[in-house]
Amino acid sequence: MSHLLEAVDLFKTFRPRRAWPWSKKSVALEPTSFTLEAGETLAIMGETGSGKSTLSKIIAGVEAPSGGELYLNGQKLNYAQSKRRCQNIRMVFQDSDKSLNQQLTVGQQLEEPLLFNRDMPSSERNQLINSTLRKVGLLAEHAAFYPHMLSTGQKQRVAIARAIILDPQIVVADEALVALDPSVRAQIINLMLDLQKDMGISYIIVTHSPQIVKHIADKILILYRGKMIAFNETERLLTEKQQPYVETLLHEHLTNHSQITGNSSAKVTE
Amino acid sequence: MDLLDIRNLTIEMDGPHGRVRVLDKVSLQLKEGEVHSLVGESGSGKSLLAKAVIGVLNPLWDVTADRLWWNGKDLLAMTPKQRRAITGRDMAMIFQDPLAYLDPNATVAEQITEAIPAGDVTGTFLHRRVDRKTRVANLLHRVGIRDHDAIMQSYPYELSEGIAQKVSIAIAIAHRPKLLIADEPTTAMEPSTKEQIQRLLGKLAVSQNMSVLLITQDVASILPATQRVSLLYCGQMMEHGDTEKVLERPAHPYTDAMIKMSLQAHAELAPKSRLPSLPGAVPTLRHMPIGCRLGPRCPYAQKQCVKAPLVRHREAQSYYCHFPLNEPES
Ligand SMILES: Nc1ncnc2c1ncn2[C@@H]1O[C@H](COP(=O)(O)OP(=O)(O)O)[C@@H](O)[C@H]1O
Ligand code: SF4
Ligand SMILES: [Mg+2]
Repeated sequence: MSHLLEAVDLFKTFRPRRAWPWSKKSVALEPTSFTLEAGETLAIMGETGSGKSTLSKIIAGVEAPSGGELYLNGQKLNYAQSKRRCQNIRMVFQDSDKSLNQQLTVGQQLEEPLLFNRDMPSSERNQLINSTLRKVGLLAEHAAFYPHMLSTGQKQRVAIARAIILDPQIVVADEALVALDPSVRAQIINLMLDLQKDMGISYIIVTHSPQIVKHIADKILILYRGKMIAFNETERLLTEKQQPYVETLLHEHLTNHSQITGNSSAKVTE
Repeated sequence: MDLLDIRNLTIEMDGPHGRVRVLDKVSLQLKEGEVHSLVGESGSGKSLLAKAVIGVLNPLWDVTADRLWWNGKDLLAMTPKQRRAITGRDMAMIFQDPLAYLDPNATVAEQITEAIPAGDVTGTFLHRRVDRKTRVANLLHRVGIRDHDAIMQSYPYELSEGIAQKVSIAIAIAHRPKLLIADEPTTAMEPSTKEQIQRLLGKLAVSQNMSVLLITQDVASILPATQRVSLLYCGQMMEHGDTEKVLERPAHPYTDAMIKMSLQAHAELAPKSRLPSLPGAVPTLRHMPIGCRLGPRCPYAQKQCVKAPLVRHREAQSYYCHFPLNEPES
């Protein structure tokens, strides 16, 4: 049986640029291999500049690798052959402001992937757009909105709606969760978990929140300065002793109020 | 006396579908040297409240308040010029994306120098130059940047996110403001950088005797040094008070939900289990519920909630809810 996704020695080199200790780290990716099965979630972790975004963009076909292979259901994916990948591997970007087209309404942005990849009458398209908007916690009326009329959280929901509207096998999300409002974030995570349970969808998420990783990831891949220094099941990474860098990433607790979960009342809503 | 005293601040604007009320009778008090966190999800009006304080709201909007006082002076009664003078002297603000705010074409040293009040630097031309440089270095030290010589010569794009935010803080504190408003300064930062910035803000509040109003979308991101916390939802104040009290025994259903939706709370749930969340979405401005705006999403709502709840108090907490949680047994 082939894996849903298999990466073999993917790597990327960049022209070296001026790099001081205080400047942004220049990103490169050393040969990286991993596998992902249907219905699994893989979290990619690492500090800023460790190559997380480079790796996720290569997987999503947004950027070409300098070398190595990527297989989807056992079939080799070429960077150039984008249509098949485009339908099956969808990406949600970190900055929804930049990834959304400011000139198009939300409805038009959601329609775009449908026009390119699906052959359906416009009434069906509209229905799918409406139901997708509701899935991500927006209202059908938001289809008529332009991005500038939406809050940051709402824009991120639109970006997620655009990723899931084609029913992809894999969704790659680069830091898409961390800046969301708590209620939206919880809803989106629940939505992602539901989609995963119902349709066996797989996720590759890039995040630096250990709490989110612990909650949704089956496997974790850790990068350090472009090098993969750990790839294992979440359970094992959490329970077995790890090198200090891995430990900090996994156990860094956002400061303060650890009693924040204290004795708040019992009623929990869904 | 409170440094900042806001009572029933209301902001209304005319939209394409009629008049909307984006802030609804919001009250907030801030003492000198107090670290205060203002928590609310996006669109709740946090930034508008900040803008109302620093006086940069659109003049076409309708701004009314029983009080908008700074140091006992009525800000609403002032001319724009008087207000600008007070804002420029006493207040400063930093934002989520420091790179969008820093000048891309000027070095760090140039930008900080420009922020140092002219009156601070005296003496001969040469003396002033040396003095300025020392002051810039000092400011960088104060925000925790040690290799100041290298950073001073850098342009913003050469800086990491955390350093860039520290530089914008250095610029903000250069004129020794009484109040620093930090509008989501760490949203989207990685945990270690976030922690550094938070610690720095808490430290500066003490060392500069400066009040800090930290705006955040998540109770998990409030400053460790926060003495008081306020929760805003859809332009209405939900609850405020002593941080420990509010987080340990929230009176308001919104506070309760925000605590359960925080990342820390998730860490205690079984992996892949559904997370607690408020149902539905934030209403659009056109469809604001009447009365308590949390109503349609509140698990405790009853008929009475269509009447806006008046403020109630419980020890060091104030809240706006007809059916408060965690009431002490009487
Ligand atoms: N310039 C503006 N024109 C029209 N509506 C605005 C403007 N600025 C803010 N609003 C509206 O006011 C509400 C509060 O906005 P804001 O203070 O930016 O929220 P927050 O900072 O809490 O995310 C939002 O519903 C937003 O759409
Ligand atoms: S007033 Fe009613 S709707 Fe509002 S928070 Fe309290 S119980 Fe919920
Ligand atoms: Mg804001």
